[in-house]
Amino acid sequence: MSDSLGTGEQSAPAELLEIPAGARPPLSRTATPSNTFGPGARSEILLQAKKNTVLKSHGRPPWFTRYDEDGHSVGDAFVIGIAGGSASGKTHVARRIVQALGSIPTVVILSQDSFYKRHSPEDLELAFANRYDFDHPDAIDMPLFASCLADLKAGRQSNIPIYSFTQHQRLDETKYLYGAAIIIVEGILALHDPALRKLYDLKIFVQCDSDLMLARRISRDVKERGRSVDGVLEQYLRYVKPAYDNFVQPTSRFANIIVPGSDNTVAIELIATHVRRKIEDHSRLYLRKSLARIGPRDLSPGDLKDQHFPNLTVLRQTPQLQGIFTILRDRTTTREDFIFFTDRLSTYLSEKAMEFLPYVTKEVTTPISKIYAGKQLAVNDVCGVSILRSGGPLERGLRRVIQDIRMGSLLIQSEDKTGEPLLLHLMLPCCIRQRSLAKKSFVFLLDAQIGTGAAAFMAIRVLLDHGVPQENIIFVTMIVAACGGVRVLQRAFPKVRIICGTIDPVLRESWALWDTLPSPPETADGELGTPTAKTKAEAEAEGRRVWVVEPGMGHIGT
Amino acid sequence: MVISTAPSSQSTPASLPPSVFTLPQTAQLEALFTIIRDKETNRGDFLFYSDRIIRLLVEEGLNHLPVIPKTVTTPTGATYEGVGFEGKICGVSILRAGEAMEVGLREVCRSVRIGKILIQRDEETAQAKLFYAKLPQDIAQRYVLLLDPMLATGGSAIKAVEVLKEHGVPEDRIIFINLIASPEGLKNFCGKYPQTRVITGWIDEGLNEKAYIIPGLGDFGERRYCV
Repeated sequence: MSDSLGTGEQSAPAELLEIPAGARPPLSRTATPSNTFGPGARSEILLQAKKNTVLKSHGRPPWFTRYDEDGHSVGDAFVIGIAGGSASGKTHVARRIVQALGSIPTVVILSQDSFYKRHSPEDLELAFANRYDFDHPDAIDMPLFASCLADLKAGRQSNIPIYSFTQHQRLDETKYLYGAAIIIVEGILALHDPALRKLYDLKIFVQCDSDLMLARRISRDVKERGRSVDGVLEQYLRYVKPAYDNFVQPTSRFANIIVPGSDNTVAIELIATHVRRKIEDHSRLYLRKSLARIGPRDLSPGDLKDQHFPNLTVLRQTPQLQGIFTILRDRTTTREDFIFFTDRLSTYLSEKAMEFLPYVTKEVTTPISKIYAGKQLAVNDVCGVSILRSGGPLERGLRRVIQDIRMGSLLIQSEDKTGEPLLLHLMLPCCIRQRSLAKKSFVFLLDAQIGTGAAAFMAIRVLLDHGVPQENIIFVTMIVAACGGVRVLQRAFPKVRIICGTIDPVLRESWALWDTLPSPPETADGELGTPTAKTKAEAEAEGRRVWVVEPGMGHIGT
Repeated sequence: MVISTAPSSQSTPASLPPSVFTLPQTAQLEALFTIIRDKETNRGDFLFYSDRIIRLLVEEGLNHLPVIPKTVTTPTGATYEGVGFEGKICGVSILRAGEAMEVGLREVCRSVRIGKILIQRDEETAQAKLFYAKLPQDIAQRYVLLLDPMLATGGSAIKAVEVLKEHGVPEDRIIFINLIASPEGLKNFCGKYPQTRVITGWIDEGLNEKAYIIPGLGDFGERRYCV
């Protein structure tokens, strides 16, 4: 997962880099993020990949400090702004904070360098002649910087620009970022713009002696960029030093904390402790449990028409449908049959789901030269997003209905101890990643079951964060547990449509009796056909509690 | 731009024979028909979208087969009172357009046996004439899904049921599946065989002087295999 892969439209969207808890992120100083072009860039990529990239030590609860069980936002991401002179050690401080935070889920380090303005041809000439003042505030696109940061802080996706130092130009591609609980902004002018300052929860200024900064700068530029000492000194005297005195140093008065540029272990400890406490205050929400326990429990297929669930659609319970479900539920069904009938069911569900898209009138001429006033689909973008792994079987059904449909996926797994779902990976189609497109896109969200609804809750939340309107989300699922999270989903997201094959009466907590790797309770291994049942004692010894839908159909996966 | 989810072109006759069942007339289904009716539609799209409709028709047709109660144990150990599929079935396609529907049938019933009947119109008498029939040996014990995409005058379908009856299949165990039907065709067919169920996707306005369905979609077999 190098940075260069993340910049293209078609490549993996957010780079959620896996760092084992407590692992040391690389501490070497790198000045230019996302500089993925030109010779020699390759070796720097790995060092640079950590900036402008969502880092995580494990998954992220999507409501992490942010959503209550009604789906409302209850807080924003925690934003730290770090300013200081060039080569004062800002990035070092940022990384030490990340390191000191330990297993805090998701952090992004956002670099000011990404937001250099797009240059005119004249500026470009100056830049190549080393006559362009990159240290002046006017070189930075502050409004864009602030709007990207505001989006990230509010938990929305952002597509930040990529600046190439070899081309001295902003590139056409952007970098997609989403889902950081902590955002660290670093740059010499990070505290300069009032709009930016308003977004910080904690403002840090890294104070370092000028001679030390100069020494570091010479050493770095000569070694890493092959520059001459004279050249570095000339640039320093012409631009860096005046900018520091005029624009950077004065912003230290906005800082909450002044951190020394070296020997700052204690300061960083203090900051990390503060941040950790702020974060923990909010993260005591056990969603899955509260979802399972909520509401009256008698949602039977008979009263689905009631006005409380206008957007829950259950397939007509035809003899064939009942027959299919009987086969799927039967523990003696072979794997082959199971796959065939899930396919058949998912195709049928997908056809039904298509009915909820908007259509407009269209006239066509038939081969016998008659006019036919018919209909055609009236949507800009339609895509599918499946909740791994159990959404997988539904993907095939959807593809049988829209052959070339764009597919995204979310990997949501439960934390072993609490059963809380965590977002481990997300890969969304470009029509969702771009906010302007997401507003008009229709999304089929696919998961085999809605039990406690925690995974569904999270997935819907992720789509809403990206700007997809509730009414454009159609959740396609095989089984809904009557007493489970479906009620909460409908309350929290009343306009999201849910289409399901059938309603099951029971949702109960039990020990995991399947021989599977840790995976979300109601989403695991069904297409093992006949799951190897463990004895109850064994399962209890492993200590994994799951929520089971009954009668259900076991664990469904691919 | 008016967005709606209700179809705009259905002209269902006031009284349908009780043995006729149409698919739910949704805007989505109408959009599918709009694509395959359009003479500008290319062959790839015609195949894909007609297959989607056929699949829905077959799913609907199978609902008319009997099921028996069946209790199973789920992987979690719970018991479930479900149903099992009972009667043996087979498909019979009326060549050649009916053959196009076999794929759709197989997608839903994997190993179904399929018989074929070739019926063509005798140009001199304008009567449907049987040229060839190859049917599974035990067809008399099976439910038969009779496949022909267009029900125009009903001549060939009536002839096909006649052949099936000669082979010992009772009238009420035949389910006739088609995409588009004309009111005249339905009247003729159901008048002759009131106990045979007809599953149709859309009922059109009528027939032209050449006995093509209006507005219809032209010659289904021609568009599927040749154009």
